[in-house]
Amino acid sequence: MSSSAFPFGRRLSLRLSFGAGIAVIAVFVLVPAVAVFVISFTDIRGLPGLPIDWVGLDNYARFFSAAKLDYNLNALRNTLVYAVVSTVVANVLALGIAVLFNQRLRGRTFYRAVVFMPTILGVTVIGLIWSLFFNPSAGPAATIWSWFGADSAFFGDPHLALALVIFVQIWINIGVAVVIYLAGLQAIPDELYEAAAIDGASAWQRLRMVTVPLLAPSVTANVLLSIVGSLQNYQLAYVLTGPANPATQLLSLAIYSQAFGGSTLTGASQSQGYAASISVIQFVIVGVISLLVLSYLRRREARL
Amino acid sequence: MSALAATRRTRRVRPPRPGRMLSYALVAVVLLVYLVPLLFLLNTALKSTREFYADPNGLATSPHWSNFADAWQQGDFGAYILNSVLYTLCAATLGTAVSLVVGFPVSRLYLRRPRLWNGLFVVLLFLPNSLITQFQLLLRLGLYNSQLGYILIIGASVGVGPILVAAYTRSIPRELDEAAAVDGIGYLRYLTSFVIPLAKPALATVFILQAIGVWNDIILATVLLPDRSKAPVSLGLYAFQGSYTSDWGLLAAATLIVAAPLIAAYVFLQRYLIGGVVGSVKG
Repeated sequence: MSSSAFPFGRRLSLRLSFGAGIAVIAVFVLVPAVAVFVISFTDIRGLPGLPIDWVGLDNYARFFSAAKLDYNLNALRNTLVYAVVSTVVANVLALGIAVLFNQRLRGRTFYRAVVFMPTILGVTVIGLIWSLFFNPSAGPAATIWSWFGADSAFFGDPHLALALVIFVQIWINIGVAVVIYLAGLQAIPDELYEAAAIDGASAWQRLRMVTVPLLAPSVTANVLLSIVGSLQNYQLAYVLTGPANPATQLLSLAIYSQAFGGSTLTGASQSQGYAASISVIQFVIVGVISLLVLSYLRRREARL
Repeated sequence: MSALAATRRTRRVRPPRPGRMLSYALVAVVLLVYLVPLLFLLNTALKSTREFYADPNGLATSPHWSNFADAWQQGDFGAYILNSVLYTLCAATLGTAVSLVVGFPVSRLYLRRPRLWNGLFVVLLFLPNSLITQFQLLLRLGLYNSQLGYILIIGASVGVGPILVAAYTRSIPRELDEAAAVDGIGYLRYLTSFVIPLAKPALATVFILQAIGVWNDIILATVLLPDRSKAPVSLGLYAFQGSYTSDWGLLAAATLIVAAPLIAAYVFLQRYLIGGVVGSVKG
């Protein structure tokens, strides 16, 4: 690819408009992204005017130090459980729902719109909806639990909290995944199903031998989107269980609470350099996992 | 022959279907999972606190509409919604404009090193969590706790915007650029009076995707706008939840106040939105 002739004469207005756009992105997005790596080697704090010192790899050593290791491993474990479970379950369910909605049913655009709706509602609204549903003292979930003679603190129960946050995350994620799978399904030519039917393939065989292989690119897109998103998502855990709940401590939430003390007041004493090092570690984990997943799925796509 | 083909066409099932009734039953289950929580929210919003605790799952028999007025007043939602409208309009406009001015010339190969710029657009999707450095940047620019600073940070996070614009504007024939140029139309005027109308679907998608992100943001607003009077409605609702923990009628009414404009907008915009999600994955 090389540049092609610019028909509008002088390039000044092109340079100015393009430069302005890139400058906005560079200053407010790219510079902060690169600076995360730089400040992870310093002891920068939340207030300006305090001296900033280079501390080398101290922040990283601190992440793995005995005092922090349990907390961080817990956050790492929760993050992985959260990402893997929500990705796998949401994708399996979404694939089923997409196949269901792809039949010639009345009102399927409506069904699709309903399932997609959580995407627009946002975490605060969704957090309240499900806090209400899982209200421990009175609510539908408490009633269902009582049928089995059980009660639960739900989001307040350290053994259940993470599972429930994952459940809500799946509820949200399914919408986008269904939409992508539906688009993939609609791109499969009818002739293939026809040919398979003539060859005597059963319904299940047609699903297995036609739908699934041809949907492989959509699976790749969905799984990647979901795993990258859920490895970095923390807003939901934040609104459902608070910023400092060990049961739902995620790496990104750890970045937030280390940098900003988990309250709206920015703590001057908080070491944001240390928080930045968690951010870098998370970035590396996300990068490695997404590359592994991508190469695995691409190879599978080729084999199918 | 053609009649036979027609019956085949109508009989053709795609993909396999065990039975229409079963399909509709499954659809009903899926819809219930999505609609019941919302209906329960609505039902709760119509109950007084005493009614709620007496029978949380029962239907609201005498609608307690005053919850909405009370929540509106006590939560100061009018002010929060105005803030959110301001942030959403400004940031989504900024993000869409940036996506347009960088996406279009790159798709047209009007710049040197198009590979570099395309690569940059992809890199924008995979950046580390920059919450801390964005906070530090605004602090040092004197834009901390400023509405402008917040809009700049969240508006500049264009995500898939440039890719969507670049992919869509490829369908505008290059001959149009040349014809307009021959007629003496300058580049900027061409952008505003030709590219914007022609790329409206893509630009609308970019705008809506970003608007959703801004309207629903809670963490950036918490960190960058400590001043309660500047908080967007997501944060206002979260704070409201903190102060009325067990007053569920009021809380549910407040949630609906925040959700209603979104649901109303969604009814009209869902086509653009769903098309945009599919487009951004293909892009």
